[in-house]
Amino acid sequence: MTAHPATNTAQPIVRIDGLTYRYPGAAMPSLRSIDLEIGPGLTLVIGGSGGGKSTLLRLLDGLVPQFHGGRISGSATVAGLDPLRTPIPRLAQRVGLVFQDVETQSVYGSVEREVAFGLENAAVTRTEMHDRVDEALAGLSIEHLRGRRLSTLSGGERQRVQLAAVLAMRPELVALDEPTSQLDPEGAEAVLAACRGIVRAGRAMVIAEHRLESLLPAADRLLLVEEGRVDATAPAAARGVTAAGRRHSAVRDGLAWETSGLAAGPAGSEVLASVSLAGGAGEVVALIGPNGSGKTTLLRTLAGLIPPLSGTVRRPAGRTAYLPQNPGALLHLPTVRAEVELTLRRAGATESPELMLGTFGLVGLANRYPRDLSSGERQRAALAATLAGSPALVLLDEPTRGMDAAARSSLAAAVRSLTERGSAVVVATHDTELAAELADRTIALRDGRAVEVEPERGATDAGDAAPAAEGTR
Amino acid sequence: MNLVPRAPIAPRAWLVWSLAAVTVGLSTDNPVYRGLVALVALNVLLTWLRPGRRLRPLALMLLVAAGTAALVNVFASHTGADLLARLPGDWPLVGGPLTLESVAFGGTVGLGLVAALLAVAPLSLVLEPYDVVDAMPRPLERTGIAVATSLNLVSGFGRTFTAVRDAQRMRGWRPRGLRSWNEVLVPVLLTAIEDSVVLAEAMEARGFGAGRRTSYASRRWSRWDLVVVASAVTAAASFIALRLAGVPVDWYPYPTLFLPPINPVLVLACLALSLPGLARPARGG
Repeated sequence: MTAHPATNTAQPIVRIDGLTYRYPGAAMPSLRSIDLEIGPGLTLVIGGSGGGKSTLLRLLDGLVPQFHGGRISGSATVAGLDPLRTPIPRLAQRVGLVFQDVETQSVYGSVEREVAFGLENAAVTRTEMHDRVDEALAGLSIEHLRGRRLSTLSGGERQRVQLAAVLAMRPELVALDEPTSQLDPEGAEAVLAACRGIVRAGRAMVIAEHRLESLLPAADRLLLVEEGRVDATAPAAARGVTAAGRRHSAVRDGLAWETSGLAAGPAGSEVLASVSLAGGAGEVVALIGPNGSGKTTLLRTLAGLIPPLSGTVRRPAGRTAYLPQNPGALLHLPTVRAEVELTLRRAGATESPELMLGTFGLVGLANRYPRDLSSGERQRAALAATLAGSPALVLLDEPTRGMDAAARSSLAAAVRSLTERGSAVVVATHDTELAAELADRTIALRDGRAVEVEPERGATDAGDAAPAAEGTR
Repeated sequence: MNLVPRAPIAPRAWLVWSLAAVTVGLSTDNPVYRGLVALVALNVLLTWLRPGRRLRPLALMLLVAAGTAALVNVFASHTGADLLARLPGDWPLVGGPLTLESVAFGGTVGLGLVAALLAVAPLSLVLEPYDVVDAMPRPLERTGIAVATSLNLVSGFGRTFTAVRDAQRMRGWRPRGLRSWNEVLVPVLLTAIEDSVVLAEAMEARGFGAGRRTSYASRRWSRWDLVVVASAVTAAASFIALRLAGVPVDWYPYPTLFLPPINPVLVLACLALSLPGLARPARGG
């Protein structure tokens, strides 16, 4: 497929001049004096959490400032329209935006109707609507999902449906705000492959994304967004965490936790069958395997949150810390520091909250309301609140989901610090880089059974041993 | 009995059927008619229930709603000739005689709720949320989308509750009295609000809220849809017309219990609502 930009290449699709934007009630602007031009092709928006990437993308389709309010100065033109003043429904016909969370952005329950939703709002005739839905589904090679309910799709499939919904509008510009952050590697790659296909077909696309490896070769430009400023000359060096190799720390003690002949599952259904595993103090065990293979069930059973159906579970004395998926949901206190202090107080620990705040780079955010933070910052706050107090056993469920490179580094440092102090760590993850970097041992779960992955085969091979097919969530 | 296979009933025909069945169920106090509507609606629901939909939550809702309504009448009415028991008079509200008549009337109040809930159940258990939107009259379409969409968040609400409760428990939280639940309920509520805002943002970004809308689904009706609608409207109209003509439609068992009157025309009207249950969904539809 050759590149045929949909718009006149002489004209930039996005032009922003001297634009500064502050959310309502915010002390500091989220975008500062931005001057920017974006042309056709693929534009990657990179930068740490809370830097302003999402705000920039929301500016493109008018959600900032029209939906969010706040104070704005400067000017912008997107696809020939002024996003500061043009009604959002009109902008929606030229600019499509796909959000991070695959679940909260769905309107209807079925694929076909979901794809047609924007067309209905644009009052497109029914005949044309059917043609455009067909075209969008075919464009993303997901015609086979047409009759499915969204709840039966994997995260990657759902995100491609959202992309199809945007493409059905035939927009001049497609913007995606970290579209793969909630997905497993297979789902993420399917979405990114679809994005590459859309760019090759000539559509302009702006993607804020942490998984850069597969997009960088196709990117026409990079925008580094940090502290509300945009650097259009950013080098491609802002990359994610690289696999630093297996750590192989010495296990300092005997067994810290153990399961023997464990059968377990939610509501009495058997997801795990006869699993016998053990881990030592100071040891990191990675659990890998496809969705539905029982990783979360094993963690929850180890945590004591669900009782075993048969077999035994042994935990070390002391506190067990458990990080659930979507950990940001547990935050409810007025400041990040108060969240960490609550855990320390409950654990009877004497350590200073500054230790965890420092480990996760939260010192400057310690007095902020956690729910006002960006998603990456909030994830770090939840990690600090969960892991404080030197727990004897640490259970992490997909801890890097939605994380940027800085947060992943903080997590790796925190896990090392915990293991040096004797904590046993079990981490369920699709993130093969994290497993390779941290894990002393890797266990593959499949069909309810556990198989230890040979150390010399490496964590990436372990993924092969337990192919992580896109399952339903 | 071999039932005729039929294509799915049009969403708007379902809406009319539900409204007619609710009208019949609530326009009379007579337990015979209410019971008939409840049975007919249950049969229709079971016939067209969408695969994978669970009836347990509905059964629970029926039990709680009907039970509460009936008990309130039994304990708060205190009228009727046939005494069953007497509670101490100084007990607030419930103190006084409990009568056979209040039990009977409490039963018919509960039966009315059961009939009404079963009548609207197909809108949730047979139709998809977008079907309900398609069924709405144009002026209510946007409200319908907002309601249907917010229902999408309900399943996430349950998941968040479990996740937050477990996470807080692992941080040392234990349920000790109502106030301790703040640590679970506040974050769950905040997450639900945040999810709603994200959804609103996503809908706005896709042009929701503009002027005229069109619909992806065809609104063409089949003859079968017309028959369903005609029979349902006839049933509701019969009740209204006979009431206006002075025919006894209600049943009021005070002061002394008596058998409810039965009018064959009204029985037939109730049975007319059973029409959708006399077919079976073609191709599992």
